[in-house]
Amino acid sequence: MTDNAESNARNVRIRATEENLISRILDGENDLFLELIRPYQRTVYATLVTMLRSKEDAEDVTQDVLLKALDRLHQFRQEAAFGTWLIQIAINEARMRKRKMRQGTMFSLTSAADDDGAYVPKDFADWREIPSEALERSETREALAKALALLEEHYRLAFILRDVNELSITETANVLGITRGAVKTRLRRARLMLRDILSPGLQQGGQVGLAFKEVRNPWE
Amino acid sequence: MGITCEEVWRDISDYVDDELDQKQRAALEEHFAQCRHCAAVLEGTCNVIRLYRDERVLAPPKGFHDRLRARLNQKLNQGPHERIHPSRRAVLAWALAAAAAVPLGFALFSAKRFLLPGLEHHSPTGSPDSPAVKGLVAVSPDENNKIFHIPSCPYLHGKPKFLSVEEAIREGYSPCPICIGKRKPEKKG
Repeated sequence: MTDNAESNARNVRIRATEENLISRILDGENDLFLELIRPYQRTVYATLVTMLRSKEDAEDVTQDVLLKALDRLHQFRQEAAFGTWLIQIAINEARMRKRKMRQGTMFSLTSAADDDGAYVPKDFADWREIPSEALERSETREALAKALALLEEHYRLAFILRDVNELSITETANVLGITRGAVKTRLRRARLMLRDILSPGLQQGGQVGLAFKEVRNPWE
Repeated sequence: MGITCEEVWRDISDYVDDELDQKQRAALEEHFAQCRHCAAVLEGTCNVIRLYRDERVLAPPKGFHDRLRARLNQKLNQGPHERIHPSRRAVLAWALAAAAAVPLGFALFSAKRFLLPGLEHHSPTGSPDSPAVKGLVAVSPDENNKIFHIPSCPYLHGKPKFLSVEEAIREGYSPCPICIGKRKPEKKG
């Protein structure tokens, strides 16, 4: 799906720019910090809103995480990509806050086990692509957020790191502390479930409480 | 048809990620050319990924960047005296946590040398309810070398387990030299 050579060249360029920005910030040009984190603002927020499932908390925590990153910038080692480092801080922060919110509960409410059983994707008689223009509509954007929230956290997190943050499978595995194989299993399940949730056939069936369930094809 | 639909569904996500070898890839492509259902599953999967990659999806609310800028400016305009305040509280809390662990004996005694120098340089990690103040530290479950970190240390991998400092030391963990131990002096400017 991606042209590797081209994306590698782009990554090298991005990295060089970031390294330059980081060393200037560490030399006191703090104003450049906003420029450094601007490309990651959305991915950090998206990760936190997906983990915390609250828009209000997500904005606050995103800002806290970004400001913490400035405090800790001198600890950043160039062996990781800046975006990966940032997202690791965000995930650790979200986990810590979630733990504090349910202090006393020592076990997780959902199982973190991978369901490795076969998943049968639904067959929709009149499957139609959801075009990018549909994202102009807030209902569509809201439906995508809600669909993601329906997944169990371990599926949600693998999907958000790989498909929203665009980390590689190896980077996703490192951030989550799981194997590449486990990342692939979770991704497969997450992607197929999201397709099923978002495909028009299911919305017509009204089985999922999406915002536009009564509308036939809200993107048309 | 070379392979079954079930085999295609198992491999479809890896196909999208270009994680299959040449032979598997060709088998899937041959199947997609002939099976309408699987072709629709593939298109739907790519559609999902394309939509979620779009900047407009899960985007921060309006005004986010301006509010962040305001908070950053406020932080940068704070004098060094004000900025030292939360770090003092952090040092105090950590010292209290360490003192509470005294009966734990030798383990603590040796770890303290790593703990305290780092804390003196502790930069303002923010709010008074920050993990440092509560004395919560995090450990990676799968790490062979037993090290504990502050919860937002990026060198903490995997799903962390949270412990108090005392518990961590009792279980034989030592402090992470990066987030807790030797911190570089504050940057100039």
